[in-house]
Amino acid sequence: MTNKIYQVPYGTKDILPGEMKARRRVESAIIDVFDKWGYDEVKTPEFEYTETFGSAGTEFDFRLFDRKNNLLVLRNDMTAPIARLTATRLRDGEKVKRLCYLANLYRYEEIQAGRQCQFEQAGVELMGASGPAADAEAIVLAAEALKAAGLQKFAIIVGNVDFINGLAEEAGFSNEQTEDLKKCLRRHDAVAMQEMANNMQGIRSEIKQLFADFLFLQGGKDLLEKMQGIVANAKCQAALEDLLKIYELLEVYGIADHVSMDLGLYRSFNYYTGMLFEIYLPELGYPIAGGGRYDNMLESFGVHAPATGFAIGVDRVMLALERNGSVSNNRSCDVLVAYAEGALKKAIERACSLRAEGRSVKLATEPMTMEEAAAAVKEYSCSTLVLVE
Amino acid sequence: MDEYITIALPKGKLFDKAVNMLAKVGYSAENVVEDSRKLVISNEETKVRFIIAKTVDVPTYVEYGAADIGIIGKDVLNEQGKDVVELLDLDFGRCRLMMAVPEATKRANLTDYAHTRAATKYPNCAKRYFDKLGIQVELIKLNGSIELGPIVGLSESIVDIVETGTTLRENKLVEIDSLFTATARLIANRASFKLKFARLHKLVEDLRVVVAENAAAKAAKK
Repeated sequence: MTNKIYQVPYGTKDILPGEMKARRRVESAIIDVFDKWGYDEVKTPEFEYTETFGSAGTEFDFRLFDRKNNLLVLRNDMTAPIARLTATRLRDGEKVKRLCYLANLYRYEEIQAGRQCQFEQAGVELMGASGPAADAEAIVLAAEALKAAGLQKFAIIVGNVDFINGLAEEAGFSNEQTEDLKKCLRRHDAVAMQEMANNMQGIRSEIKQLFADFLFLQGGKDLLEKMQGIVANAKCQAALEDLLKIYELLEVYGIADHVSMDLGLYRSFNYYTGMLFEIYLPELGYPIAGGGRYDNMLESFGVHAPATGFAIGVDRVMLALERNGSVSNNRSCDVLVAYAEGALKKAIERACSLRAEGRSVKLATEPMTMEEAAAAVKEYSCSTLVLVE
Repeated sequence: MDEYITIALPKGKLFDKAVNMLAKVGYSAENVVEDSRKLVISNEETKVRFIIAKTVDVPTYVEYGAADIGIIGKDVLNEQGKDVVELLDLDFGRCRLMMAVPEATKRANLTDYAHTRAATKYPNCAKRYFDKLGIQVELIKLNGSIELGPIVGLSESIVDIVETGTTLRENKLVEIDSLFTATARLIANRASFKLKFARLHKLVEDLRVVVAENAAAKAAKK
């Protein structure tokens, strides 16, 4: 007898029967909400040519060669494949396109704090629309999807990358300095921001103070209004105006009490061009969903169209549900149909008619006595026993 | 204030100062001592909870959200690169990460060490440093008594933390370059920083005042 325990590759995991049942319910609930808002589900290949993601690639890519030595990459993000699909296959469709997906993604990362090398995202892309209405829709839809999944308590954090660009402009930053600034914000490094502010020369003290406090520029509508009075830069003013309009729409949708503005919010993907957001829950130490506006991505596939969207981490949703105790990994089946010697044909008919009534049914695979059937109904987690004689 | 703030404190040289500083801004509990038998110490009145952790584990508690905030040296943050919010330089526990070699083998220029075998507790920081200089290096990860490396012939150099330099002198080692200076930092979990923003923002503002007072007191002493 062999004792070898077969392992799965680093950063991957199996999902077991009860767990998968619960996950499928959550996935369906999320996709149903997307469907209700008019988003059509699409599926793209698990791997793509590297050019889809920009040939430069990243350190977390899983790359492989096909038989003709073309370089392929396991998709690490869904926004680029959806943009590719839209720009090539749906070029002539309606002006505004609403697509959604449920997909496994792959990134070679150290597996810690909610990160695995293979993970699942549910998301939407709203393409062909600019302006606050589309952005507000993306934010509300993410919130609605989380609610449908069973998560009621969350905070939506909204920012605008153009506010950051505008402040960099105001400070007379070179491209390199702006990149440094974004790096500090991405790493959430308030100490480095303070140092950056201390080193600034010939800049209004109010602006300098904004740099020092960049990670603390969080609040509601009042924060936006206050900032309008401090920063004259046109880009910043436009970004604030945009956020105010989005906020007003979120009030109409009735989710404004979940929302705070964070003017220092910056996300790892550098394709964002306007509004961006993240959603946090008390159950998790890291965001459960995130997204934003990316007006230049479709351009790189040859179509000029603004776009916005988001993705929810399905594995993180499952973890949060598990932590707040609202997920059941119950594998139960409604009925076990067992049968006595010679009654198999009758039992099959019975099982089929019960299934037609909408019950889930397991059919025994061999004849049983009453005692055996009573034990089997427990073993196979069925709630009712039907013994056919 | 319906929810607790959980604070991870590092055992070791930063511990006492961290506890004192937090107490000054009202974050305290009875019997927050380094050798506490209790692993979690709570103050029901002020809704504060302390976890006393091994130094290198503090960023991990905070990254996962098991602690909302923590106090930890910048050296540990640089080494681990955890995804946490770095809120404030607390300006104590000052030390620096440096490279040293035995006095007898010191060379004129840094670039003369074209290849070195270096013992360190900070392999990630050391690798980044040597990569930047173009020095090829064989790193030996040790967990303590790094100075022993060159003495027993395990390594040719060391990359280690120094405060005063006494240990270096006692072991006939000489510093040839400094990687960075580190101080204690207040860090926060990403989600906690958003979900408990008002409370954490006030904490940072209050601590900022204490840091400034400490700096002024230090300057007056001089």
